[in-house]
Amino acid sequence: MNKPESIREKLNLMMQLSPPHEVKDKPPEIYPQLYFESALDSEEMEAKTRVSNSVPDESIIPSETSSNVIPSDKTMLIERTLRSGQSIRYDGHVVVMGDVNPGAEIVAGGHIIVFGALRGVAHAGAFGNKNAVVTACRLSPTQLRIANHITRAPDDEEVNPRQPEVAKISGDGVIIEKYYPGWDRGF
Amino acid sequence: MGEVIVVTSGKGGVGKTTTTANLGTGLAKLGYSVVLMDTDIGLRNLDVVLGLENRIVYDIVDVTNGHCRLKQALIKDKRFDGMFLLPAAQTKEKTAVTPDQMVELCNNLRQEYDYVVIDCPAGIEQGFKNAIAGAEKAIVVTTPEVAAVRDADRVIGLLEAAGIKEPQLIINRIRAEMVKHGDMMDIDDIIDILAVELLGVVPEDSLIVVSTNKGEPAVLEAGSKAGEAYRNISRRLTGENVPIMPLEVNEGIMKRLRKLIGMK
Repeated sequence: MNKPESIREKLNLMMQLSPPHEVKDKPPEIYPQLYFESALDSEEMEAKTRVSNSVPDESIIPSETSSNVIPSDKTMLIERTLRSGQSIRYDGHVVVMGDVNPGAEIVAGGHIIVFGALRGVAHAGAFGNKNAVVTACRLSPTQLRIANHITRAPDDEEVNPRQPEVAKISGDGVIIEKYYPGWDRGF
Repeated sequence: MGEVIVVTSGKGGVGKTTTTANLGTGLAKLGYSVVLMDTDIGLRNLDVVLGLENRIVYDIVDVTNGHCRLKQALIKDKRFDGMFLLPAAQTKEKTAVTPDQMVELCNNLRQEYDYVVIDCPAGIEQGFKNAIAGAEKAIVVTTPEVAAVRDADRVIGLLEAAGIKEPQLIINRIRAEMVKHGDMMDIDDIIDILAVELLGVVPEDSLIVVSTNKGEPAVLEAGSKAGEAYRNISRRLTGENVPIMPLEVNEGIMKRLRKLIGMK
C-alpha cells in the first residue's frame, strides 16, 4: 500500500491533560461544562447554542457509544473568518469558509474543516472521539487537539504548509498528512 | 514568602508587557523562581512576547472558575526552569475575574515563588483594579512624553489610594539625542512631576521589536542596550545597587571630528 510521501513527521510535543494513569480514553471532563455555558460572538450562533442546550443531560456526559458516532448532518457552517478572541463550540462537525486567526478557537465534537488558513486553536473530537480529524487548506495552528491529545508545532521549525493537510490520531500521537481525495483510503 | 509586583502605566503601549517579560526573565536568569501573570483578559500578549503562546491549555479564568488547578495552568518557560507564565484568557472579558479572586490567587502564588510579576492592562477600569488587587509593590512604566507622564501621575494617585505605597518608576524608550536637543523630556523633568523613586531607564532599541516578534526577551540578547538596562533593573529589584546607565548619544563622524578640533 502506498503511503503518501509527504507525511509530515509527528508533531513534537504531546502533552497529556492529566497524568497518564488517569487519562485512558476519557475526554477531559472540563469540556462539557465549558462548552455549554460559554457565550458565542455573533448572533446567528446563539440560536444553535440554545438548541444544543436543550439536549438532555445524559449526552453531556459522554458515554462509550455516543462519543464515537457523530451523525454527518450534525454540522455547523461558518461563512466568515474567525478573529482573535472568537470561539466556536459545537457538539458536531464544524466547517469554516474563511480563516481562523491566532487567538480564535474551535471546539467541536466531530471533525473540523477549515477552507482557509487555520492559525488558531482547533479541538476536534472534544468528547473523546479519536477518529475526528482536523483539516485545513493551510494547517498552521498554534495548538491542535484531537480528543485528549494536545500537540503543537516543534519550536525550531518554520511551519509553512503549501497544500491542504489533515491531522489525525495514529497510534500514540497525532500525525499530519497531505490531504487529497482518497487520503484515507491509501490511494 | 514572595513579592507580588504589578507593572502598570495607565497609558497603553508604553512597554508594560515588554517590561514584565524582560524583568521576569532577568529575575529567572539570576536564579529566582518567578511567576509572570497576564491580567489583560481578552487582549493577551504576554504569551506571545515570551514565545509561549502555543503551549497554553488553561488560563487565569479557568483557574479562578475552578475548572483546573493552578499548577495545570502554569506554563513552564522554554528557557528557564524557575519561570512560569499564567496566561490570560483570550475569549473572555475583564469582568470574568474579580479583585477578590485575584487576591486569593496572588496569596497562593506568593507561598511558593520568589517573585510574582503581574502585567496590568492599559486603563484604570476593571482590568486595572483586578491587577492591583493582589499586589503589594508596583512599578509604573512611562515614556518621556507629556501624555504618558500625565497618565502615569493619575495611576500613581490611584495606586497610593489603593494602599500600594511608594511605587517605583521605569522610564522606557528614551532617546538620548532628542533629550539632548530638548525635544524630549529629561529624566529629571519626569521625576520632578511624578516624585517617585526611579527604578531604571530603558533606551529606545529597535532590537525590542525583533525580540517581541520572535518571542525571545531582550535580556537574553548580549548586544541589546535595552536588554542591558532590563538586566540592571532586575538586579536593582533584588536589592543590588546598580548605577543607572548614562544616556549615550550616537555621534556622527563629523561631530566627533569637530569636537576633536574644538569646534562645537
